[in-house]
Amino acid sequence: MGLLPFVFPFAELEVGKHLYWQIGDLRIHGQVFMTSWIVIGALLALVVVGTKKMERDPRGVQNLLEFLWDYIRDLARTQIGEKVYRDWMPFIGTLFLFIFVSNWGGALVPWRLIRLPSGELGAPTADINTTVALALLVSLSYFYAGLSNKGLRYFEYYVHPTPIMLPFKIVEDFTKPLSLSFRLFGNILADELVVAVLVFLVPLVLPVPVMFLGLFTSAIQALIFATLAAYYIGEAVEEHH
Amino acid sequence: MTFLVTFATEGFGLNLDLFETNVLNLAVVIFGLYKFLPSFLGGMLERRRASILVDLKDAEDRLDQATKSLAHAKNELAAAEQKAAKIRTDCKARAEAIRLDSEKRTVEEMARIKQGAASDLNAEASRVSTQLRQEAARLAIEKALTSLPKRLDEKSQANFLTQSIENMEKT
Repeated sequence: MGLLPFVFPFAELEVGKHLYWQIGDLRIHGQVFMTSWIVIGALLALVVVGTKKMERDPRGVQNLLEFLWDYIRDLARTQIGEKVYRDWMPFIGTLFLFIFVSNWGGALVPWRLIRLPSGELGAPTADINTTVALALLVSLSYFYAGLSNKGLRYFEYYVHPTPIMLPFKIVEDFTKPLSLSFRLFGNILADELVVAVLVFLVPLVLPVPVMFLGLFTSAIQALIFATLAAYYIGEAVEEHH
Repeated sequence: MTFLVTFATEGFGLNLDLFETNVLNLAVVIFGLYKFLPSFLGGMLERRRASILVDLKDAEDRLDQATKSLAHAKNELAAAEQKAAKIRTDCKARAEAIRLDSEKRTVEEMARIKQGAASDLNAEASRVSTQLRQEAARLAIEKALTSLPKRLDEKSQANFLTQSIENMEKT
């Protein structure tokens, strides 16, 4: 951080540096993959452990998983509607849980204990590539949902109240993934940066409330992403009369 | 297409600088979460579990009750079936009795009617034969009356008288 006039002895900020892996012609951000795998592994482990011995009396992890399932079902049902929400619940739930655990993992796990040759470990969602991938999945999903549910009548949605809406609806198809990905990416990266900068300036005490705030916004961002994804799918499968 | 994977393996390691790694603040945050999250989330989960258990118990109670009423209803059904079978046999017996009775009555009636018809016929025949006899007698008398004046003269009357006297003398 050459911009700052003082040199603090405590911490160092790294922005825009990545651990590049070369696969063929692609240069991929290795640290994102590592944390993604850890997140995916943690989620799978949680689900496997929680569903290994299911009982009628829900205890411990099973209870937690059922609670999450209820939560995701309610979310999907309110946004997508009674008719097809079952088809999309796994997708919405995956989005929510992956983003939520990514965000919280990025904020709670002391990743910096592990030193990488370049860049640093953190929330996978603080990388634009992850969020764009998720947002494009959402785009594909709502197109698929609309086309598979209504066939070509899906395109009635573009001229729904009046044909004047056509250009706006077309632009929306591009702004939806854009806003989804940038919202998530921006929030999580900003959280990490704020904490990093505060740690850089005031190493103790002051970052703690900001970190709690970060946890709160991270959870909210996961909810927003999942809710919006469900809403877009619901909008695509909605029947206009 | 060749996938050439190169890892930058050099430079991995541990960073144990307390300030650079923000471990102290993280410890505080994690401790705070550890302190407050279980009471919040745990309370929610416990309430959920309790309500599920209550629901399960309700459902089991209802199942018990339903099983009992099912058994009761089955008993009633069996009793009703028995009753129905009894009624059916009774009805059959009664129907048989009624059939026999009416058959008997019909036969009797038929016999009576036949008898009546025969006696009617006899009466009519005797009436007709009586009538015919009377008619024949009447016609004979008429014929006798018409032919009698022509044939009846002094001589024949005298003959007739003597004959009659002779007859009377004989007897």
